[in-house]
Amino acid sequence: MDDSKNRLNEKKFGRRTFLKRFAQAAALSSAASATGCIGLIQNNEMLQLKWKEYFKKNYRLMTPQEKEETVERLERLAKIEKHMDIQMSSQNPINGVLFGYAFNLTRCEGFMECVTACVKENNLDRQSHTQYIRIFEMEPGGMSPETGNGKYFHEVPLDNHFYMGVQCFHCENAPCIRACPTKATWKEPDGIVVVDYDWCIGCRYCMAACPYYGRRFNWSASQVPYNEITKKQHYLGNRIRPKGTMEKCTFCVQRTRAGKLPACVEACPTGARIFGNLLDPDSEIRFVLKHKKVFRLKEDLATDPKFWYFID
Amino acid sequence: MLILFGFGMLWVTADVYTEQRNVLDQVKQSTIHRKDLNQNDFAQNLPRQAVKAEMKYQGGDFWTESRKDKVERYPCYTCHTNNPEKFKGAKEMVHGDILLDHGGADKPLSCATCHLKDNPHLFKTADTTNIDMDHSYDLCGQCHFRQKQDWIGGAHGKRVLNWAGKRVVKNCTSCHNPHSPLFQKRWPKTYSPPIDK
Ligand code: HEC
Ligand code: HEC
Ligand code: HEC
Ligand code: HEC
Repeated sequence: MDDSKNRLNEKKFGRRTFLKRFAQAAALSSAASATGCIGLIQNNEMLQLKWKEYFKKNYRLMTPQEKEETVERLERLAKIEKHMDIQMSSQNPINGVLFGYAFNLTRCEGFMECVTACVKENNLDRQSHTQYIRIFEMEPGGMSPETGNGKYFHEVPLDNHFYMGVQCFHCENAPCIRACPTKATWKEPDGIVVVDYDWCIGCRYCMAACPYYGRRFNWSASQVPYNEITKKQHYLGNRIRPKGTMEKCTFCVQRTRAGKLPACVEACPTGARIFGNLLDPDSEIRFVLKHKKVFRLKEDLATDPKFWYFID
Repeated sequence: MLILFGFGMLWVTADVYTEQRNVLDQVKQSTIHRKDLNQNDFAQNLPRQAVKAEMKYQGGDFWTESRKDKVERYPCYTCHTNNPEKFKGAKEMVHGDILLDHGGADKPLSCATCHLKDNPHLFKTADTTNIDMDHSYDLCGQCHFRQKQDWIGGAHGKRVLNWAGKRVVKNCTSCHNPHSPLFQKRWPKTYSPPIDK
């Protein structure tokens, strides 16, 4: 609670100084345009963009045009501030698609290629070593990741052990969504639970509410080496998140809404990760649900995750 | 704080969470088929190296990664002619890199279990001969029936690139070395720091 208050104060304070600076800069830049100094004119444009950014709506309330303008603005800002050409999408969910995920406990060998692929694709903070996916090394019979070893580093697979990947489960009945006081997190029609990073106040209630440790709080904006940044981004996905916000797996919304597989699934060398459209009866995920004995974690909580485990 | 809070409440329409239905019930009632989705959205060229599988999966035709273009010594008939060069130790010299560890210690497979004796680029099973190297899943499937069924359905192996559009999957030998099919142990690609809650 204290934290959230602090953060709000910080934000208010931020706004006031920002307004002051804006006034100063506006005065400066009118002088600049008279002398035609390009640097300062760009500075002026940047301030205007930031001004609009600051007062934008929650993504869910934006009209299609506002979404379009917002992502264009962020592209332009990345160009001015970081000299980087990013492509940011605001692509909507596809009709008739509900994403689901299955994890084959028999196949996973603990190579962790999914984790590196996720870090790269989603521009995760390299400094704090943020990871959305965690792989637990489990003793036979153990069925709860709490009993596993999440910090192994030795040759894998270890004999007589199995590996269990955990990430955001995109629950149909997600406790994190209910916990959010600003409605900055919600479930999209294609089943992906997303965060509006600019609407998140960083109170971390959702993190406490998640029974699966699916959410990550960032203490700083992600630090990614310039040439490692994934430039194909989505507003609700892998864009560089502002400091002090909640982030997590988005089923790689920037990829999956374009028909591609999430980065973790594509990188998996063993085929332990299965992803697809739950509403398509012919999909691989439906095949698994039909023919394999599947289970979900903490099913008694009625969170209804769209992430199943199975053994074959 | 309060102001922001109230502001937040104003525009939010309360989500309804009373529904306790399982997502699977909902899913099973859906009648949407892959074909109903606008396939143009995923207009997808097949990867250059894909061949059409000889069977169908629940959703129709599918493709698998070709192998001939990846096998180093292909085509085999540059040496395996009607009149092969024969001298002592030739096999070790040429194929000495092949370590056969398949079938268990008590009943190991031999080259001729799979490869045709005179045409080793083709495979044989009890009831088929002349299986092409791109379709070696038919060979594996003779002895590994369950894995093949799962591979066709989508529970074993994996799709390449896309969940939507045309289905292209990895071939058995894209993942398994046919001669020693077990995955090798190796170091993980990274590690995880301790959880700080
Ligand atoms: C550089 C020449 C060369 C090439 C290319 C080559 N082989 Fe061979 N291979 C040999 C020689 C020599 C032998 C030993 C001949 C023998 O003992 O009959 C042999 C033996 C074999 C045998 C064992 C036969 C047995 O019954 O012991 C198999 C199986 C085989 N080759 C498969 C292949 C396949 C499959 C390819 C193509 C991918 C291939 N070879 C390409 C030269 C070659
Ligand atoms: C389980 C069946 C099986 C057995 C047993 C087997 N092979 Fe193969 N072999 C294959 C398959 C399938 C391929 C195609 C590999 C691919 O798709 O990459 C192959 C490929 C090859 C190749 C070409 C690829 C390469 O690595 O150069 C050679 C040569 C070869 N086999 C030789 C042999 C020899 C020699 C033996 C006996 C010592 C043998 N094989 C036993 C199934 C078998
Ligand atoms: C002639 C029958 C036969 C064929 C053909 C065959 N296998 Fe096998 N395979 C076996 C036997 C037998 C075992 C040992 C099973 C066991 O130990 O329980 C085995 C084991 C395996 C294993 C487990 C490895 C291990 O050491 O436990 C894998 C993976 C495998 N095969 C893959 C393949 C692939 C891929 C192909 C096709 C290229 C193939 N097999 C073709 C008979 C066959
Ligand atoms: C995406 C990679 C991938 C593909 C494609 C694939 N497998 Fe496997 N397979 C695995 C992994 C991983 C294991 C786990 C066993 C291990 O440690 O090697 C496995 C295990 C097996 C086993 C051992 C028994 C078991 O079920 O654990 C057999 C037999 C087998 N595969 C056959 C096949 C056959 C036949 C095909 C093609 C029809 C195939 N595989 C395609 C990754 C793959």
